[in-house]
Order: sequence, then C-alpha cells, then structure tokens
Amino acid sequence: MSNKIVLGLVLGGILGILDGLTAWFTPEVRKDMMSIVFSSMLKGLLAGVLIGVFARKVNSLTLGIVFGLSVGLLLAFLVARFAVHDHYFAIMLPGAMVGLIVGYATQKYGVSSQLQRA
Amino acid sequence: MKFLPDQVVARLQTEMQTPDLSGTRYRPLKFLAHGGMGTVWLVQDSILNRLVALKILAAENSSANLAARLMQEAVVLAGLEHPGIVPVHDAGTLPDGRTFYCMKYVEGQTLDQYVSQLALRQRLLLFQRIAEPLAFAHSRGIIHRDLKPTNIMVGAFGEVLIMDWGLAKVMGTTGLSSEGKEVSGHVMGAIGLSSIAKHASRHEFTRAVQDPLKSGALVPENTLATTAHGTILGTPGYMAPEQERGDVTLIDQRTDVFALGSILHYLSREQSGVPNQRASRPLQAICNKSMAWEMSARYPSVQELATNVGKYLDDMPVSAYRENIFERTARLVSRNRVAVVLVLAYLFMRLLFILFPRR
Amino acid sequence: MPPNPQGDAFPLTRHSVVAAAQGPDPADRIRAMDAITSSYWRPVYKYVRLRWRVEREDAEDFTQEFFFRLLEKDFLSSYDPAKGKLRTFLRTCIDRLFMNQARDAHRQKRGEAAIHVSLDFEEAEQELAASMQTGSAEDYFEKEWVRTLFALAVERLRTQCLAAGKATQCTLFERYDLGDEDARPPYAALAEEFHLALTDVTNYLAFARREFRRCVLAQLRDMTGSNEEFHREAKSLLGVEPK
Repeated sequence: MSNKIVLGLVLGGILGILDGLTAWFTPEVRKDMMSIVFSSMLKGLLAGVLIGVFARKVNSLTLGIVFGLSVGLLLAFLVARFAVHDHYFAIMLPGAMVGLIVGYATQKYGVSSQLQRA
Repeated sequence: MKFLPDQVVARLQTEMQTPDLSGTRYRPLKFLAHGGMGTVWLVQDSILNRLVALKILAAENSSANLAARLMQEAVVLAGLEHPGIVPVHDAGTLPDGRTFYCMKYVEGQTLDQYVSQLALRQRLLLFQRIAEPLAFAHSRGIIHRDLKPTNIMVGAFGEVLIMDWGLAKVMGTTGLSSEGKEVSGHVMGAIGLSSIAKHASRHEFTRAVQDPLKSGALVPENTLATTAHGTILGTPGYMAPEQERGDVTLIDQRTDVFALGSILHYLSREQSGVPNQRASRPLQAICNKSMAWEMSARYPSVQELATNVGKYLDDMPVSAYRENIFERTARLVSRNRVAVVLVLAYLFMRLLFILFPRR
Repeated sequence: MPPNPQGDAFPLTRHSVVAAAQGPDPADRIRAMDAITSSYWRPVYKYVRLRWRVEREDAEDFTQEFFFRLLEKDFLSSYDPAKGKLRTFLRTCIDRLFMNQARDAHRQKRGEAAIHVSLDFEEAEQELAASMQTGSAEDYFEKEWVRTLFALAVERLRTQCLAAGKATQCTLFERYDLGDEDARPPYAALAEEFHLALTDVTNYLAFARREFRRCVLAQLRDMTGSNEEFHREAKSLLGVEPK
C-alpha cells in the first residue's frame, strides 16, 4: 500500500494513458495520438493528485468516491469544452469513471501519512 | 430402627447433596455441575454480597492426593490472572473436611450452545478470543490438557472464559526444585492435612521434584494431575495422540494446539453439519495442521494458529494451504471485488465506445 | 452377642462387604453376611409382600429363607460387580427363588436361629403400611433401599454420638432433621428446650449433619457390591442433583 497521493498519481497517470490510447480506435484523430495520450496522461495525473490530496485529508470511502467522480467529470468536461469542443459524452463518461476508480483506490488502498510515519 | 417417612427421606437426600457451608461466608443456592473430582455449586458470598461458584471435592473422593490436586488447581488458577481465565477468589477446607475453592460464577453458555446460531465468520472471530487466554497460560508454563467446547464459556456480554483446569499441567522450569517444594508446602498447609498425611504427601511431591526425568515416576511435581506415565487424561475427540498414548513427558503447548484445532474443526462445520467443501479448504488445512499426528508438524503455538485463522478471515493466504493460480486469483478478486468491478466496468465502457463510436 | 453391623465392630475393607462375604475367613463371612442381612432384609420383605402379593407369614418365611440361602448356598459367589448393582442382583435372586419355590410348592420354614440378625417383621409391616407405594415393585425396592440406608445411618450416628458423649447433638438432629415438616420446631424453641444458646443449636446441628453424612457413606459401603458401585451411588446420593 502506498501513499495516497502517490497512488492517485500512478493510477491516474496509467488510466490517463489508457484513455489516450483508446483514441487509436477513432481514425480521424489517430494522427494526434501522441498529444492525446500525453494530455490524457496529464489530466489523469492532475486528477490523481487532487483526489490523493483529498483522500489524505478526508478518510471516507463515500466522500472519496464522490470527490473522485466529480474531479474526473470536471476535468473531462474542461477538455471536451475547451480542447475538443465535441464528444462530450465520450470524454466525460470515461473521465468520470477514471475519477471514480482513483477515488475508490486512494481511500481503500492508500496508506495515511500517520500510519506511514508509524 | 427409626422409620423415616418419605418426606424425611427426600429432605435428607437434599441435605446430603447440599454442601455443609456452616461457619463459612458462603450460603448454598443451587447445584450447578458435576465434575471429575467433585461438584460445583452456586453460592452467595455473604460478605461481598455476590454470587460465586464453589468447586467442592466429592465426599467419596476425600483422599489426601485428590484434595491436594484440587488445591493445586486453585493455586495455579490463582496465578493465571487473565480476563479469559476464570478467576479464583478463595480456597480452603469446608467444615465437613472437604477441600474447595471459590471462583467467579460465569453466567452464560458453553461454546457449543453459544455458536449453534452463529455464522461461520462469527464463530471464527470467537475462536480467536479463545486463543488469547490460552496463549497467556502457555506463557506461564500451564498446559490446559482438556480443552473442549463444554469447557469454554461465553458470558452474557460475549466474554470468553476457559474453565476447568483440573487436568492442567505445569511445565518444568529452571527453578524447578524450589518452586515445586514451595507449592507442595503451601498446598499441604492450605488444606490442613494431618502431620502424618502431610509428611507422606510431601514426600510424594518431593520425590517427583528430585527425579523430574525419571520415566514412570510421578511427572515433575508441578503436574496438577500427578500423572504417572501411561495414564490417559483428557477427552476423546479432543485429545492429542501423545495424550491418548499416555506419553505425559511429551505434552507441551502443542497438545493444546491439537485440542484447539479440534475445536476449530467443530466450529467450521456448517449448521447443517455438512461442511462447505469448496470454500473451506484453507480452513480445513489449518485444522489438519493443528491436528497433525506428529507434534512437530503442528503449529508451534496457539498464537500461530490464531494468526492463521485471522489471515483466513481477512482473505489472506494461510501458511498451511498452498493455493493454485486460480485459487489465488479468485481470492484476490474476492478481496478486491469493488475495484475489479469498477475496472471491468471501465473496460467494458471503453469497449462499447470502440465498437459503437459516435459519428 | 450378635455383632452390631451398623457400628464399627465390622472392620470393612476398602473393597466391599461383598468381597468379605466371599472371602475365605468364615468369621468374616458371617459378619459380612450379617451386615448385608441387616441392610437388606426390610427392603426384601416389603418387596416380596408387594411384588408377589403374599401374606405376611409367607413373606416372613421367605425372607428368612432367602438370607439363609444367601449364606448357606453362597448366592453371592455368582455376583459380578461389573455386571450391575448389588441390590439389582439380590432382587433378581429374590424373584428367581420365589418362582422356583412357587413352582416346586416348597417352602421351608426357617428358624430365626439360622440368621443372626434380629428381624422385626412387625415393625416392617407397620412401615409397609405407612409408606406410599407408587410405581412398580422394582421402584419401590429402590426407594426402600434408600430409606433403609438413611435409617441405618441414623442408627450409626446415634451409636457414635452416644459413645462420644454427644447425645444432645444427636437428639437435636433427630428432632429437627428427622421431624415432620409441619412439626419441626424452630431453632429458638430447641434452644429453650435444651437450655442452649441459639448458636449452639446451629453448631450442634451442623456437627450432627456432618457426622450423618459420614455415617451414610459408611453405611453405603455395607450396601454396595464394589468400590465402583459405591462411588456411583455416592455421586448419585451426595454429589449431583436428584433424579
């Protein structure tokens, strides 16, 4: 079990990369794969850090999931609104799911700083 | 000969069964149980105004040896101060000459009665609480030797107490001689034996102290049961093989591990009596290891056994059972059900987006 | 002088009175048989009266015949303690003897000289009339066995107390513990009657009850066939809740 922030970072980053890679199945954006993957990874890292920090402050599985879902949804919305200008559903739903997964994982598997110090 | 009417006979029978507590601080209330050496009565302590239990040597068992055994049981119990071991409050001799000791009156049920309506998880959690006082006793060199569901009480608030230490064995220590003689002298004095009987009995104890390794002699003085080699003490079904053989010199905490394993096996059966074969292989493996024929193959201590039961409860791998890849995967999935579902849902969603892209 | 089986005249071994009755010493055997006779003749008499519905005189003859044969024909040699209680064995012998005699229409009138113990059939007949007869004849035999056990223990207690100069203790015990439930005098009344302090009454009764318990155990040894039977019966009578 690792630190909550680190866990959030790692998980958010991996899921972000995975998210970006699925863009390959959309032929029209294949040429922008690298930037999509990179930006998706950044989005995942950011979500992971935010959710990890929240998990460190608030020890509640329910709240962690809700916060993760919200952060994932918000970041995905921002990407769809300001970067892609389209495909809101296709971007926000996976983004929300990533946030939900990271929110759950940081609460369930992350080790609090007090335990780490101990 | 005086004719005794039926009602007088009935009254005399009741009086005969009731212990003579005149001159003591106790007032008899009711008969509780019959044990190997005597009877247990619920009595009222008139000074502290509370209910306690008296274990009294049976009238027909009034030999010096049995009196000393009962008293030594009390002495050893008094030294085991643990919430899970029934405490002893007092000991001595009744006006009718019978040895007794006074202990906490436990209101509750025996383990077999208590678990009948419990699910497996609750039973196993209860089992872990049985191991704690036993581990404490072992740390003090006391082996119970007669563990079974009917010797474990569960109180009204779920507290677990281990009862009936009448067959307990005190393991030898480096301070053998002095400790042994002190106990002997104290015991004899406590039960107020006549000087001749005292001398004879002390000789018995002293001989055992001086010849602790002599096969066939009394087992080292600190054996409550003063068991001669070859004597079988315990309860069938819960007795370790070395107990069944009467090999008293081999008995150590692993003997209690065996009994505890038998209790675990008893607890792990489903209420219907038919075990859930698929789910309980690791648990069965824990039972089998605890009840191994060879002492060296068992868990070395009750803590080890309890730890493994804890791991089983936490869905962690147990040392007694080697999982195959499928079982390990299944266990990991079972432990992380939610995460697995979430990830699968995410992947499924991704798949849907791939298969049915929006135009 | 006939030996007093209830007293300490008979040096019982730790094994049983039956073992002594089966032993090689004729004097020991006679004394053991007297102990058995004293303990069992009342239950035997009452059982026969009840079970076989015989007249009083026939029951008297049979009882004497039975104990005579017990001694002369060595019935006890076939008794095996591992197979059952002594009283069950004796009851079986009673039934067998009665049926044999009824079949052969042969019953000898034995003189009392054949038996050393005094058999007060008049008293036994009165006791039979006074006791409640519920259940089977076998249950009645068991009940009478217990009654005889306690009654003989009372006799022992009286003998011992008198010998020890503690007659008051015994008298108090008989007045209080053996009295009718409705007519039991309170401790205060006893204290006044015997010119004792109330605490003395309590202590004297406690003493007598302790001694009575010992007498019951000693009497029980006379009435059981083996150490194992003695322990079982003692547990049943003294150690556990009533059946």
